[in-house]
Amino acid sequence: MLRRHWAMILGLTTLFLATGTAFATAGGATGSDVAHEWNLLEELFNPKKTWLLIWFILISGVVVYYIRVASSGKDLKVREIAGLSAVDEAVGRATEMGRPVLFINGILDINDIQTLAGITVLSRVARTAAEYGADLEVPTCRALVMTTARETVQEAYLAAGRPDAYNEDRIYYLTDEQFGYVAGVTGTMVRDKPAACIYMGAFYAESLILAETGNHIGAIQVAGTAMPSQLPFFVAACDYTLIGEEFFAASAYLSGDPKQMGSLKGQDMGKLIGAFGIILGVLMATLSVLFGGGIFETVLVYLSEYMFGDDGFLMTIILMAGGGG
Amino acid sequence: MTKIDLESINVILATDCGSTTTKAILIQKIDGEYRQTHRGEAPTTVEKPFANVTIGVANSVTEVGELAGRKLVSDEGTIIQPASDNEGCDLYISTSSAGGGLQMMVAGVIAEMTAASAKRAALGAGAIVMDVISSNDKRRPHEQIQRIRELRPDMILVSGGTDGGTTEKVVELAELIAPAKPQPRFGSEYLMPVIYAGNKDARGNIEDTLGIDWIDLAVVDNLRPVLEHENLGPARDKIHDVFLEHVMAHAPGYDMLMDWTDAPIMPTPGAVGDILQTIASQRGINVVGVDIGGATTDVFSVFNETFNRTVSANLGMSYSISNVCAEATLPNVLRWVHFDMDERELRNRVKNKMIRPTTIPQSHEALVFEQAVAREALRLAYKQHKEFATTLKGVQQQRTVGDTFSQQSSGQTIVNNMELDLLVASGGVLSHAPRMHQTAMLLIDAFEPEGVTTLAKDSIFMMPHLGVLSSVHPKAAGEVFERDCLVFLGTCVAAKGLGKHGKPCFTYSIEGAISASGSLNFGDLELLPLGQDEVATITCEPAKGYDLGEGPGKKVVREVRGGTVGLILDARGRPLALPDERAACQKTIEQWTEALELYPAASAPEPVGA
Repeated sequence: MLRRHWAMILGLTTLFLATGTAFATAGGATGSDVAHEWNLLEELFNPKKTWLLIWFILISGVVVYYIRVASSGKDLKVREIAGLSAVDEAVGRATEMGRPVLFINGILDINDIQTLAGITVLSRVARTAAEYGADLEVPTCRALVMTTARETVQEAYLAAGRPDAYNEDRIYYLTDEQFGYVAGVTGTMVRDKPAACIYMGAFYAESLILAETGNHIGAIQVAGTAMPSQLPFFVAACDYTLIGEEFFAASAYLSGDPKQMGSLKGQDMGKLIGAFGIILGVLMATLSVLFGGGIFETVLVYLSEYMFGDDGFLMTIILMAGGGG
Repeated sequence: MTKIDLESINVILATDCGSTTTKAILIQKIDGEYRQTHRGEAPTTVEKPFANVTIGVANSVTEVGELAGRKLVSDEGTIIQPASDNEGCDLYISTSSAGGGLQMMVAGVIAEMTAASAKRAALGAGAIVMDVISSNDKRRPHEQIQRIRELRPDMILVSGGTDGGTTEKVVELAELIAPAKPQPRFGSEYLMPVIYAGNKDARGNIEDTLGIDWIDLAVVDNLRPVLEHENLGPARDKIHDVFLEHVMAHAPGYDMLMDWTDAPIMPTPGAVGDILQTIASQRGINVVGVDIGGATTDVFSVFNETFNRTVSANLGMSYSISNVCAEATLPNVLRWVHFDMDERELRNRVKNKMIRPTTIPQSHEALVFEQAVAREALRLAYKQHKEFATTLKGVQQQRTVGDTFSQQSSGQTIVNNMELDLLVASGGVLSHAPRMHQTAMLLIDAFEPEGVTTLAKDSIFMMPHLGVLSSVHPKAAGEVFERDCLVFLGTCVAAKGLGKHGKPCFTYSIEGAISASGSLNFGDLELLPLGQDEVATITCEPAKGYDLGEGPGKKVVREVRGGTVGLILDARGRPLALPDERAACQKTIEQWTEALELYPAASAPEPVGA
């Protein structure tokens, strides 16, 4: 798999270089020949997206590098997320109080990335619940999510050495209807009074209803979602909230899968490059205003139009030099 | 036990029966104040051939009596009570840690919740916790049963479940104990005391499961009735009762000793904890106490009236010295030494100390090395203590939107060095250091106090006596603690934060018993003379980024107390960092050693191989 990654990056780089070389050797040809070559190349490669290719290669390279590092067994440091360690605490509380743990996997279907990330967290919660001997209840909003959740929980109970404790009837489908589902879940919450409520997935307007009901019954609540509009509600009503990227990071961290961990680290590097670009851009724009353009203006234009825009890189320069632009 | 008229008490006799020595002190009312006047000691006689603890007690009390010119032991060998002109005492109290002290096993449902509370209750009562069994300790039931069978605890504390919570898990714990049938230390006739302090709904099931002929079951209030609240009092009291009824009653001579005493005999560490709690409560301060022994190191803390005690079983200065070196690593020990030392020779020194635990350093080099090991032992013990003394886990948090990016998890340590007011040291390496300056420096290097902290040491390890006295006569205990128990070393004023060496850290001006002003750069250490019982007011203005108690860069005005060492101004920063490079590290330590006049008469030994 890793070799395939490298091969793909190498292939694309070779294609890029070969295209550039072919273009450069055409330097002695006439203007119409050059234009003809250019049209051919344009069908294979859009020179305006050159920087995009560079970023792609760079970030993919970093991701592949970190996947390799993670696969070699080296421990990749992931910042401690309070919400993550709170999962064990929440299950522990449920065990001490003799009450169930309620896990809500969001209201979207299995094709949503947040639902998948939630399933990874469910695996960890199920394993902890199996080890502690706590009851786990998972009402779902989609049939496919229920099936996936059942498989995941069963596997987790097996891994914990407690296959006998697995009860598939506690992972059930309620309804696809958003508020019908919420009514069903809140009814369960009020009746069974779970000691821990864990919300991991995509949520909409039901987030506050669920979280407030959980708060009212005195449960420890851990939420994780990448829906920006729902985050304030979860933060205010829950004990711990995994915010946006933290949710996916938690998923990767919990799974311990080298591919997920490496991707996480590689993406962080990509974000670091983006942040650096933003800081540099702001700095150049400020200096350009203060000192009246000049070199700062040129760098700023290159940053915004070329490096992070779609005016290309070598092609444009060469075309401009050859008069083809 | 008859009711005691506190006003009529003029002479108090207290003993502490240790594993090797029985120590006795005499407290007398002089000019309306209680003062410790005489002290004596004798070998403990709990083992054969004497097999009677009262012989050692009588011997130590006789020594005190001879020194005081007062007859305290009758011709029959008993303590004379009440006091008359030149004879006897009004109150006799005792503590005991003979025979290994009180050894307990505790069990709870979740290791971080009820099991942690049970451990806190046992440690607070002065016990040594041999193991903690819980549902999530990753051991299979047969392994847990095997472990319980191997242990020979004096008693077992079972907790688990909130009131109305799980009964199934609690009964599972009881079902591990019943088949394990642990053998008590005091012979087959001894009924194993089991204290149940868990879910009240499970009491019936527990009685059914543990109602066995070899178990003496006692039921007390749940120590976690709800997860948000810890109720350790009833369990601790019951542990003390059971300690007296079962453990002490089966130890040789203790039945007689119990008849002599006017208050229940307490386990020694429990009594130390009691006096620290009393002092912290009376003065409204936060206190940390440490007792470093040969095999173990006890750390006690009272922060915001919450008491915690930990026993670091493998950190000590003789039997456990090898473990200290292994755990801390020799390079970490050597970073506190300001001259070259041969590692091979040091290893020999460590092993010799382990097999000859009563030896004391005979050379300057040996003393410096022993104190370096002590720093690491204390540092590790305090680290363990911080990890144990935490807020309760499993508690619901209250959040606002402002917490979005700063969600702190529960279970954070409650030990805050910036809020620490008094640091008390006891134990051979601290109490018997040739210079008090060395004791003070050991405490500062190991505990890294921040802000303004008073340093003191227990003069003759009197805290156990005063602990049990505080339960009978708190006023007398407080007065003796203040005047005779503690030897004040001085006050440490330390800035929190890190910076570049040579850059300004804080400026100070002092008024009162002494007048001085100046400034310290980062990395500096300064000692100012502020004598015993002298008080001054210090005003410090920290540089940006440094905190002395009021926040980074904010001015601090505090009253500081002098002592045998004086006022120590510490601008080395927190956390304390030493250079990685050996030569630079040696130079730094040498500067600090000179600044605090740690070894004034001694010159550094010749380099190895010279």
